[in-house]
Amino acid sequence: MSIIYVLIPIAVIFVMIGIAIFFWAVRSKQFDDLDKEGFSILFNEKPAASTPPAENTPPSREP
Amino acid sequence: MLQQRCFHCHEPVPAGTDFHCEVFAETQVFCCAGCQAVAETIVAQGLSDYYKFRSKAASKANAVPAELQAQLTSYDSAEVLQDLTQQVGDAQRIELSINGMSCAACAWLIERKLQQNSAVQRVSVNSGTARCELVWNAKTAPLSQILGQISELGYQASPFVADLEEQNFQQELNAYLKRLAVSGIMTMQVMMLAFGLYFGEFTGIEAQYEGYLRWVSLLMTLPVMAYAALPFSRSAWRALKARQLNMDVPITLALYYTFIASLYATVFDTGEVYFESVCMFVFLLQLGKFFEFRARKQARDATSNLLKVMPVSATLWDGEHGTATSARRLQSGDHILVKAGETIPADGIVESGVSSADESMLTGEYKAVSKQAGDLVLAGSMNHDGILVVQVRNALTESRLGQIIALQQQTLHQKPAILEKTDRIARFFVQRLLVIATATFCTWYFWIDADRAFWVTLSVLVATCPCALSLATPTAVTCALAQLNRKGILIKNQHVLDVLPKLSKIFFDKTGTLTQGRFSLTDVQIFTPLYDKAQLLNLMANLEQQSEHPIARAFSPYLQQALPLEGVSLTVGAGLSGVYQHQKLRIGRPDFCGLNPQDPRLAGAQVCLSINGELAATVQLADQLRPEVSTLIPALQQRHLKLSILTGDASAAAPAVATQLGINELWQGCSPEQKVSAIQQSVQAGETVLMVGDGINDSPCFHAAHVSVALDSGTELSKNQADVVLLHNDLQQLQTLIDGARRAHLVVRQNLWWAAGYNLVIIPLAVCGFVSPYVAVIGMSCSSLLVVSNSLRLLKA
Repeated sequence: MSIIYVLIPIAVIFVMIGIAIFFWAVRSKQFDDLDKEGFSILFNEKPAASTPPAENTPPSREP
Repeated sequence: MLQQRCFHCHEPVPAGTDFHCEVFAETQVFCCAGCQAVAETIVAQGLSDYYKFRSKAASKANAVPAELQAQLTSYDSAEVLQDLTQQVGDAQRIELSINGMSCAACAWLIERKLQQNSAVQRVSVNSGTARCELVWNAKTAPLSQILGQISELGYQASPFVADLEEQNFQQELNAYLKRLAVSGIMTMQVMMLAFGLYFGEFTGIEAQYEGYLRWVSLLMTLPVMAYAALPFSRSAWRALKARQLNMDVPITLALYYTFIASLYATVFDTGEVYFESVCMFVFLLQLGKFFEFRARKQARDATSNLLKVMPVSATLWDGEHGTATSARRLQSGDHILVKAGETIPADGIVESGVSSADESMLTGEYKAVSKQAGDLVLAGSMNHDGILVVQVRNALTESRLGQIIALQQQTLHQKPAILEKTDRIARFFVQRLLVIATATFCTWYFWIDADRAFWVTLSVLVATCPCALSLATPTAVTCALAQLNRKGILIKNQHVLDVLPKLSKIFFDKTGTLTQGRFSLTDVQIFTPLYDKAQLLNLMANLEQQSEHPIARAFSPYLQQALPLEGVSLTVGAGLSGVYQHQKLRIGRPDFCGLNPQDPRLAGAQVCLSINGELAATVQLADQLRPEVSTLIPALQQRHLKLSILTGDASAAAPAVATQLGINELWQGCSPEQKVSAIQQSVQAGETVLMVGDGINDSPCFHAAHVSVALDSGTELSKNQADVVLLHNDLQQLQTLIDGARRAHLVVRQNLWWAAGYNLVIIPLAVCGFVSPYVAVIGMSCSSLLVVSNSLRLLKA
């Protein structure tokens, strides 16, 4: 069981890192708008403006 | 056939129109040229993903009128820009408020579109607050170009300057988030270690490991106590310094007592530790406060587009040319040009031009005031139909508008105070608790068992731990706020819910609040056999379409079909003329129509129509009551509320409205200062006062009343200053608001009774030493859960 003398401090260090990252995220305004960030993954990173939009879309079309 | 709906805004497509565009390789139809143009832009830029992922239909897009475009260019002047932007390196930073955003996909759309502009360095759109932060190079792309690009997508953007209070709110919210993270993450860690200790209790644990786990828990709890719990201890300290007791005092007391007891137990290896309770307690309280604060911040953001009312730009006039400048820089003696439909940027004297101005927001007078050379015009009023050249008399800060804003700042600090009920209960509770805890400690220490004294006192403190009591109010308030928000009632100050159940008197503004604040037709007399009433009204509506005057707008509901009119011309301050099927039409004042004003048929008519010089129709107009008012007033009187009308309008229209509604108390012809004093009189007489208004002249007395309510159709300034904004422009929602507040009040009382009842049972047991601290923690958690779930019922109401 003496392994906990090593593992718990390591866990504490991870917690500290986690909190530091969270603080950084708050400071860089990532929590200002929670709705938009959830959507961002849905959109193409680079919109292909030169190709016709029809080719970008999947074949399944909703009526 | 199924009604076709616009692909862009989902509104019905009018019959006989043909607007279409290729989207996703399919032909889609649109309701208007505006929506079609927006969709074409979106497709051409390769942004059609927007249509795939949006969660709400867009708002109907209007093609940008040339007038608006001209207004946009006035933002390009270096002076205006300097007022609105901050310099970041070689670029400018500006905040824009955006109208017409409906979901997160809109934010994405605007960001993508602007990123394609090479002058834009950084753009970030917040879909929650409908704000956009933009950093761009003003030398390569003027602001009007960027605003134009946003309007191509169907949104209206306008520069915005966040006030200091809002910036503080944002910082506070970030602080809440950080504290929440610290207490939440630490609670998880400490709880995990606590489980080790719990199991150790049953299966046996070696003393060295127990000690180790306790020390680690202590270490993890330190940041929670030193950082996350800071707001509570600060508030408690402030209260104690002022020789007061508030709810944070027992919280802080319990936190520190539990923490120090656990610290003692850890250091001297004795007794029990409660680090997990400390962390959990802080986390739960922070969570409640965070949600409450966020709801209030959202309500505040949604209504704080303050600068729209302050005319931002003005046109300097040198006799031949106009140059755009910032309204703030106007000096006394400057000459300015005010176009039709513009807001007048400064107080001044008309030098030339004829027009009429809408001063209702400043004075409460709903009829347009005609303006010609030599007349005084007021900053913040709206110029209707003519072009005016004005000599500026006062700079903006010394204008009537500036004075009203100053008066309102002055009243801001005179808000009548209402002692919060929970604070009274807290005082009562804390006093008793301190006495009981001290008595318990002394009794056990001197007479019963000195070793157990400390731990029994601890269990008394933990069992009575004011968690449930302190959660009782904030959870109920948060749920009530969320529920009212969903119904279109924005509440910006939480004290509103505290005060409303005690409400005894309501002051209504007249123009724009009880009435619609615009003209509508009350009586139409026909004097010609040629046309019937509907045809005549359609004819008049076709003519009046060419005018921006408020009287002209009263005719627009009667427009049924477009008629081919020829040679329509507008005479400012008199009327309109035109030719229809070889007949000469004139609409307007009697003398303009070639009629004798003494004609008895013209009695009471504001507008006449003549065909070939013969009287065809007369029309009476008035500012009519809102439709819901006639049912609302009796309903409020049934609640035994005193009602009163407080208006700046000095005309006979005010007593007429009062009699029609059966309201006995009427204050008319009031200046903003008189309105404030009228309300202060009532407050001093012991009434709990609510003020409903919509104009700039109402905003100072918003602070004098206990609660103030503005309508969404009102001025930006009044919405910004009011405690409550009714988003649906429906006065009937006043009742919803009062009911919501009463329900919240009821739930708070239930919660408080439960917490008090629980304490009455547990305290005697704890004092006698029957409650071990573990049981106390379970009891505390259960009572807190019950309080929270009781509050959640408010969400369903």
